[in-house]
Amino acid sequence: MSISESAHSSPTAATIATENTRSTSIRSTFKAQSAIESLSSIITTVPDSSNPSSSLLNDPEIASQISSLLRKADAGAGNDNLCRWLYDTFQSTDPQLQLVVLRFLPILAGVYLSRVTLRKPLAGFEAVLLALYAHETTSRSGQPMTVNVPDISHPSIYHESNTAVKNNATNLNLAVISPSLEPHGTVRSTKRARIVGVALELYYSKISQLPVASKFDFCEFCEAWASGGDHQQDSSVNNNGEGLGLDQRERMRIPLSWELVQPILRILGHCLMGPDQKQNKQLFDAAYCACKSLYGRSLHGINPKAMLATGSLLSLAKLSLDSQNDGIDYTEIRITNAISL
Amino acid sequence: MKAQAVLAATTVAVIATVLFTTVQPAPAAISCGTVDKFPAWEDKKAASDYPDLNPDRVTQLPKLCNVNFSVPITKDVDCTKRKATRAEMSESGENEGDVEFVREVCANGVCMKTSEVEAKLDKGNIEEAESSLREGLSLNYEEARALLGRLEYQRGNLEGALRVFDGIDLQSAIQRLQPSLSEKSSSKKGRTKSDVPASVSQHAASLVLEAIYLKAKSLQKLGRLTEAANECKSVLDAVESIFHQGIPDVQVDNRLQETVSQAVELLPELWKQAGCNQEAISAYRRALLSQWNLDNECCARIQKGYAVFLLHSGMEACPPSLASQVEGSYVPKNNLEESILLLMILMRKYHLGKIKWDPSVMEHLSFALTLCSQTSVLAKQFEEIMPGVFPRVDRWYSLALCYSGAGQNKAALNLLRKSLHKHEQPDDLRALLLAAKICSEDSDIAAEGAEYAQRAISNAQGKDEHLKGVGLRMLGLCLGKQFKVSKSDSERSRLQSEALKSLNGAISFEHNNPDLLFDLGVQYAEQRNLSAALRCAKQFIDSTGGSLLKGWRLLALVLSAQQRFSEAELVTDAALDETTKWEQGPLLRLKAKLKISQSKSMDAIDTYRSLLAIIQAQRKSFGPHRSVSEVEDDKVNEFEVWHGLANLYSKLSHWKDVEICLEKARELKQYSAEMLHTEGVMCEGRGHAHDALPCYINALMLEPFNVHCKIRVGALLFKMGPNALPVARSLLSDALTIEPTNRMAFYYMGVVHRDAGRLADAADYFQAASMLEESDPVESFNSF
Repeated sequence: MSISESAHSSPTAATIATENTRSTSIRSTFKAQSAIESLSSIITTVPDSSNPSSSLLNDPEIASQISSLLRKADAGAGNDNLCRWLYDTFQSTDPQLQLVVLRFLPILAGVYLSRVTLRKPLAGFEAVLLALYAHETTSRSGQPMTVNVPDISHPSIYHESNTAVKNNATNLNLAVISPSLEPHGTVRSTKRARIVGVALELYYSKISQLPVASKFDFCEFCEAWASGGDHQQDSSVNNNGEGLGLDQRERMRIPLSWELVQPILRILGHCLMGPDQKQNKQLFDAAYCACKSLYGRSLHGINPKAMLATGSLLSLAKLSLDSQNDGIDYTEIRITNAISL
Repeated sequence: MKAQAVLAATTVAVIATVLFTTVQPAPAAISCGTVDKFPAWEDKKAASDYPDLNPDRVTQLPKLCNVNFSVPITKDVDCTKRKATRAEMSESGENEGDVEFVREVCANGVCMKTSEVEAKLDKGNIEEAESSLREGLSLNYEEARALLGRLEYQRGNLEGALRVFDGIDLQSAIQRLQPSLSEKSSSKKGRTKSDVPASVSQHAASLVLEAIYLKAKSLQKLGRLTEAANECKSVLDAVESIFHQGIPDVQVDNRLQETVSQAVELLPELWKQAGCNQEAISAYRRALLSQWNLDNECCARIQKGYAVFLLHSGMEACPPSLASQVEGSYVPKNNLEESILLLMILMRKYHLGKIKWDPSVMEHLSFALTLCSQTSVLAKQFEEIMPGVFPRVDRWYSLALCYSGAGQNKAALNLLRKSLHKHEQPDDLRALLLAAKICSEDSDIAAEGAEYAQRAISNAQGKDEHLKGVGLRMLGLCLGKQFKVSKSDSERSRLQSEALKSLNGAISFEHNNPDLLFDLGVQYAEQRNLSAALRCAKQFIDSTGGSLLKGWRLLALVLSAQQRFSEAELVTDAALDETTKWEQGPLLRLKAKLKISQSKSMDAIDTYRSLLAIIQAQRKSFGPHRSVSEVEDDKVNEFEVWHGLANLYSKLSHWKDVEICLEKARELKQYSAEMLHTEGVMCEGRGHAHDALPCYINALMLEPFNVHCKIRVGALLFKMGPNALPVARSLLSDALTIEPTNRMAFYYMGVVHRDAGRLADAADYFQAASMLEESDPVESFNSF
């Protein structure tokens, strides 16, 4: 999962590496071009670009066309060409192109989860989701993701005194944040949340490379999943809710189990407190709205864990709004009238 | 105004360095000149630590140095606050009634006004401005440039500042600084007194480093972030190469330290703004793992910034390098671990009084720990916080959430009881609802929960009205539970009808909440309103898309209660299709029981066989080191399988097989009432009634409320003759109190009455038994 920086010691290794990168980049450009070509039979206008995978990822025109196709009433069936394209593009194993597929995951998962109770054929959507799940299963080799919650009484690299205390009585709490993954060939309904959840975990792991518009889509759906368009839950939710781009058909309250809520929370945390939030007020607002809606939902279900997490996110968002007004820049020098040496 | 004082004071301090060395041997703190920490101005107690320091002399200092302050230097000068915007500076100048705020440049004990120099700069004559500074203050070229650069920077003329700084060859200046200091460090052991060369070169270093730092700041403000980051990085590189041996604390020049701290803090920010996340991570690590002599607040800011970055940037940081690791110390292995560690350290620092309280640290920590489902660790953090930070009711509520999230409902409820006490906040809606929820899971305290729920309903008004539905739902659940421990028939029927009414009332508030449908379905099923229960179960499966196992189970059980076994089996098969192997245990068990009900014993045995196969596979694939909690929930329980199989064989009167199964079950759980019950049945079946009785009695000792054993003992006693009839009867009526829908209890009750000659009563009991038989599910509805 972590990006490994390859350090090359000898110049020969370095040249080989550059050549490799060059040939990889040629190959990936080729792949991207063929992806664009096959896409051109599905959407109406595909702009010419020197950097095909970047334009697939960032071009708003392409994005809006694909989005509206995914939102069409009959989208996601087994013979859906767009789903096929997304599936093939993801299977190309080119990281840039895989990002393009992930960029549309919020809409795909959003539409899928909202419609799945309507008993429509959604095999196309499911194929893409299963591909993402399988990718993650392979890259984690099925292993669970765990966290050793540190015990502060034990010295660590960030402790001030570096006296190595020989304290063998470590009191680490092992927490499983994502259980082990078993292979799935179909979406069984009791595994649906897990499969989408793992796809969202994959989305989160690449989130810093994804465009803001995609995160914005996610926040919109997340708000709808939690409330189902039912604003009576919390009348204090600002009325931006209606301004969001989802139509009533897509606003479906869905079951939110922890395996789905947990990755959702991580993504929302990123949208509220990550690097984009400072530049993009719109994303912040959408994430805030989604978070409020999730808080309302957890309050209604009296779900302590979800209440704690969403409650923290909400207060952090409020704190960051407050601090934007009176933020002190500690890296600024002291401005004096008398400048001395 | 205060800001000015600080600045002036800094000036003083720098000059004071020179002064004090001549006037008297300077105490360590003063030679550092840290105004923020100037002991005499902090409090008297601190001043007594520095007996050499004369407060009068300190106030005279400005005069001695020929510097004018616009504010008097007193103890009250607040050096911690600064607001460094030009606009404010000029504003505060106006407030004081000054004509215009006049800038001065000071060096070598001389001050000059800058208006002339500024005029030259405005014309673009850097050289002229520089030479007039050099002449006026007898400076060398670099010093003059550094002053000019700072002047331009303060005037907000960033391009100009960059032009001025570009005129200095900073790299060669740094190189010139290096040998002189390494000399010093090599000879420092012998000479403790001669600090002068050190402080001079520190001063020179400070000059150069500040110049580079201001260059970085100017570039940052111009939006040239990568360049800014590289300049800022070169400040730190320079510090490391100049002072590679480090400087003893007492000798650090204040201004140098300030520049270094600011550069350390700025660098990761710059990389972040530039979008270079990996660089930001290494800058953070460099800031926190190297020794920069940062003050507590600055270090805390960096730690928090890094923790937040790790939590929310979406960048996976590789674990810290081996170089930074001390043997035996904990090294975080991923983002979450690292950020939790940092946030915990920050909390600890606050507890030790080293830093100010920052509410966001606790919120971040709470978010991170909840993500890992470690709310019990979070509870510990809440407990450690000193009183006075949170209102206690809020803290109790947060703690209750943590404990409840960690499954420690008892602790959570005790805290909620405190906060709902009449002297605290008895009407707090959220606490009431959580308390009611906890009570609704335990029939012994369900009555208490019903009270909370009622209070919640009456308090759900105004903007909280949307929570009325939640209150009603909790009320319904609590009443339903309370029903199970209620002793009187009239109360029972009241509880049942009220539970239904509340749940139906809740639905009108939350018509799209499937959980409510489920609760209602179970309630109907328990009251044997099977068609309504069936409707609810179907709706629940539809609205959840069949994603929850309990929905399938409810539907199958309701169908089995309607004696529609083959349909129930179809539902179970459909559910099996929607689950994976590990979750199939409860469904297969259900299926086996359905087979038994249809008298397909061989099929049932097959089903048990596949259950056992799953258990084998499970044991292999999970291995011994899987955490217990992972396997625990809803996975197949081997003991139950053997026990179920034993029951099946005893129905078939295959006593030998029963014995084998019981043996297997006993290996897993030595003392179990259910197993003893089956053993008793086996003894009875083999015609050894006198062996059966001790089994049942032992079982009742393990579980005094075991209904099945009570009934069996009752049945055995009744067979022993008329003398035992009253005992048998009381045992059976006991059983009926515990489980009012047990058809076997009704049946034997009928038998007892018949033998006692009360035929009308007997007929009633038999009728009840037969009615119950027609609506008996294969597994109790209590299991939800």
